[in-house]
Amino acid sequence: MKQELILLLKQRSILILLLLNLLLTGFSLFNGWQNISHIQAQIGHAKQQEILRKQDYLKQHNQHDSLDVGEVGYYVFHNVYHTPGEWSFIALGNWLVTPYLQRIRLLGLQGQLYDGESHHPEYVMLGGFDYAFWLVFFAPLVCIVLLHDLKASEHQAQRLLFLQSLSAQPTRFWWQRVVSRWLLIALTFSLPVIGFTTIHGFSLTPLLQVLMITLLYTLLWTGLYAAFSLRTRALDANLNALALTSLWLLSCIVLPNLAQLWLHHRYPVQDGSQIALQHRQAVHSAWDLPKTDTLTPFYALYPQWQDTAPVTGRFHWKWYYAFQHMADVKLAPQVAAREQTLMQRDQLTGMLGYFLPAVWVQRSLENIAHSNVSDLLAHRQRITAFHTQLRHEAYPYLFAEKQFTTESFGNMPVFENTNK
Amino acid sequence: MTSLVWKIAINEWRRLWHARIPALLMLVLVVLWAIAALAAHHHWQDHANTVAEVTQRSQQDWQSQPDRHPHRVSHFGDFVAKPLHPLSVIEPGIIDQSGHLVYLEAHRLNSANFNPATEATSLGRFPLITPAMIVQWWMPLFLIMIAYATITAEKMTGILAFMRGNGTPVWAIATGKWLALFLPFFTLLCLQASLTLAWSWGSDQVLLRLSLMLLAQAMYIAGWCLLVLAVSWFSKQLHGALLTLLLCWVCICIIFPRGLANLAQMTYPTQPRTEAEHHAEIKLKTLGDSHNPDDPHFAAFKAGILKKYQVTSVEDLPVNYKGLLMQEGERLTTDVYREQQALHNAQLNRQNISIRHWLWLTPALALQYVQMASSGNDLAHHQAFIRQAESRRYQLIQYLNQIHTMKVDQHHDHDTRVSADFWKKAPRPVVTLAPVSVSRHSVEAALLVLLGWLLIPGVLLIKVAKRT
Repeated sequence: MKQELILLLKQRSILILLLLNLLLTGFSLFNGWQNISHIQAQIGHAKQQEILRKQDYLKQHNQHDSLDVGEVGYYVFHNVYHTPGEWSFIALGNWLVTPYLQRIRLLGLQGQLYDGESHHPEYVMLGGFDYAFWLVFFAPLVCIVLLHDLKASEHQAQRLLFLQSLSAQPTRFWWQRVVSRWLLIALTFSLPVIGFTTIHGFSLTPLLQVLMITLLYTLLWTGLYAAFSLRTRALDANLNALALTSLWLLSCIVLPNLAQLWLHHRYPVQDGSQIALQHRQAVHSAWDLPKTDTLTPFYALYPQWQDTAPVTGRFHWKWYYAFQHMADVKLAPQVAAREQTLMQRDQLTGMLGYFLPAVWVQRSLENIAHSNVSDLLAHRQRITAFHTQLRHEAYPYLFAEKQFTTESFGNMPVFENTNK
Repeated sequence: MTSLVWKIAINEWRRLWHARIPALLMLVLVVLWAIAALAAHHHWQDHANTVAEVTQRSQQDWQSQPDRHPHRVSHFGDFVAKPLHPLSVIEPGIIDQSGHLVYLEAHRLNSANFNPATEATSLGRFPLITPAMIVQWWMPLFLIMIAYATITAEKMTGILAFMRGNGTPVWAIATGKWLALFLPFFTLLCLQASLTLAWSWGSDQVLLRLSLMLLAQAMYIAGWCLLVLAVSWFSKQLHGALLTLLLCWVCICIIFPRGLANLAQMTYPTQPRTEAEHHAEIKLKTLGDSHNPDDPHFAAFKAGILKKYQVTSVEDLPVNYKGLLMQEGERLTTDVYREQQALHNAQLNRQNISIRHWLWLTPALALQYVQMASSGNDLAHHQAFIRQAESRRYQLIQYLNQIHTMKVDQHHDHDTRVSADFWKKAPRPVVTLAPVSVSRHSVEAALLVLLGWLLIPGVLLIKVAKRT
């Protein structure tokens, strides 16, 4: 085994390839981490700002220790944060597109939930240079370079027959050769991860998972390619290289693409814009309806406020916030259906992962990194819960017309990110 | 002499045909291309349907508004969907990432929302197969697999030395081989272009856009053919030629484009949108507060109005003072929001400039820029769309404020409903796709890179060929 390793590392082209791989793995980790720490810095900054902004608002609008709760609901924005986890750098996934910072106010949620983020769209399209990408696409390529000419190179150097007749156990000989190559490949992918984790002191369990995935994935390709280039007639190195590259192409690009096409065809999702259009229509048509048309169904949901003073004037904040909420209620089945379809898509992607190793690795790493669509949906759930909390906090002041004091302002909920 | 070049080219074709594998690979490439075309067409149709649905629905919602107060209408707002060029079938570009719907309302600048990329599963992280991708990634890869041996093999078997001994000039061999490689791919490109032309006939600037795309694609593939020849001529071993070319391919097509974009993002990160919005709001407060009677800006504005109508108090004005205030307020907020938008665009442009500095590393990205620009799916087109939507918003809101001023009696402001006919006549100019000239800068830079991409392997080829 030792001789095998020495023999491999003595070839300059192999050494360069392995060093390059080491370097770029390091870069992929650094780049992912840089992206995530930018997000974390922005979130940290926004958290401080949010406190200051609320204090500012209080200072400007506080009159004799009392504020207009309707105006607070309309003008005070509450930040919601999609905070990355410690290991999010490993697979940037949808961190590149989803807004990690949003502002929510007491108005209808569906009109606010889908605001886009100001990323560079071309950058998002090209994709992140993260560890997941590097591993999924390059581990097979490195395997091809190291393994496609196992037998053929010996054949070309006219040593093959000699080797096979010389060693008592040819299987053992090839076994050692393959394992030594796999070791080198796996090491160049995992060493940077281990080093990076030690420097930053990240937690251990995800590290072990990532290492496991890396080892399994490289092992799979090594096994596959070794079997191919050790078969009896595998004497043409170039033919092997072509066949293995085609296999890579098929399993890392063509099949995942076809799978996605089929998935989108099988589970069509209503475009989000339809929700936005309907939400606007629901909110704005309420202005033209009699107030009872809004308040009766609202009181059916919240009977505790039905005995409060009726709205007789042209405008009252309680009616305003009631129709904002009723628009959300009206759209709830559609939103839930969309969410369910997205979850189904995600689950099926997981199933596909058992057949397509590249998909399996990508998804497993994204699960560790919390950068999958299921995490986005969970985040939306948290925003919804927060919005509900906000509403319930404001309703006594709106409906029972309790006085909204500085203390009540201070008691308003703050979004806490509690997923990780 | 041309007959000699042709003879060499035809001999090369014969060799490729008899070797079987190259012909098979070509077939696989065509199949892949067909899959890509189908997938891209499906994708395009999805988007086109969404855009059509949204436009139709928003039109219907707008037209069916009852009699309302004009300010209510300006908050009801209007939705605009981003128009798509049929050439998106070849290169969808940033369709999935940029968002395709903007909500236009009074005193707010909304971003383009709803991009499918946000809700993609892990499968969405795999690069999309599109006809553009076939040209950009797979054609060079297949070219490498088909032709890496073209000269190395002849060197090894001694045919090259034999030909040279017979007095065949080097340039004739190089040209003949190059033609043999380039022509089949060029035919495919022309075929794709003419099919697309027939399919999208009559769409906006289609001839210009398609010829730009074809030019860039032809330059790119020609450059790859030169590189393959140069490496093949240089290598002594088939194996070395294949691995060198594959390494070049991985760097040029996959590592560099992603790496460059990531470096640009790391060096010049963008500000979150909510922060930008907040800063705009702060700035607005310093400009003037129409609710504050002591505000200097609005006090001066009021004095100006009173003087203009020669009355002493707002009550005596023949028009609605609130409407006038709305117009002035909208003018101020729009200035601030446009400034904010310009700032954001400047941030994105700085990233683009930093990518352009290093673009010579990767002709694949250069080709992608041209393809995205000519199919109308690059950043410049998106920014032009946002600008158009914003100007439509301003026009519409000011029209509504004008109605507020002229048609709503200020003494009964809150109880007035204005006839729905006014909404039907509101100026809502159709948002059209920007001309391809908006992406001039990136197209120029990319074409320059592609030209260099022809020169460098060309010079390399001449150098290595002369040595034999």
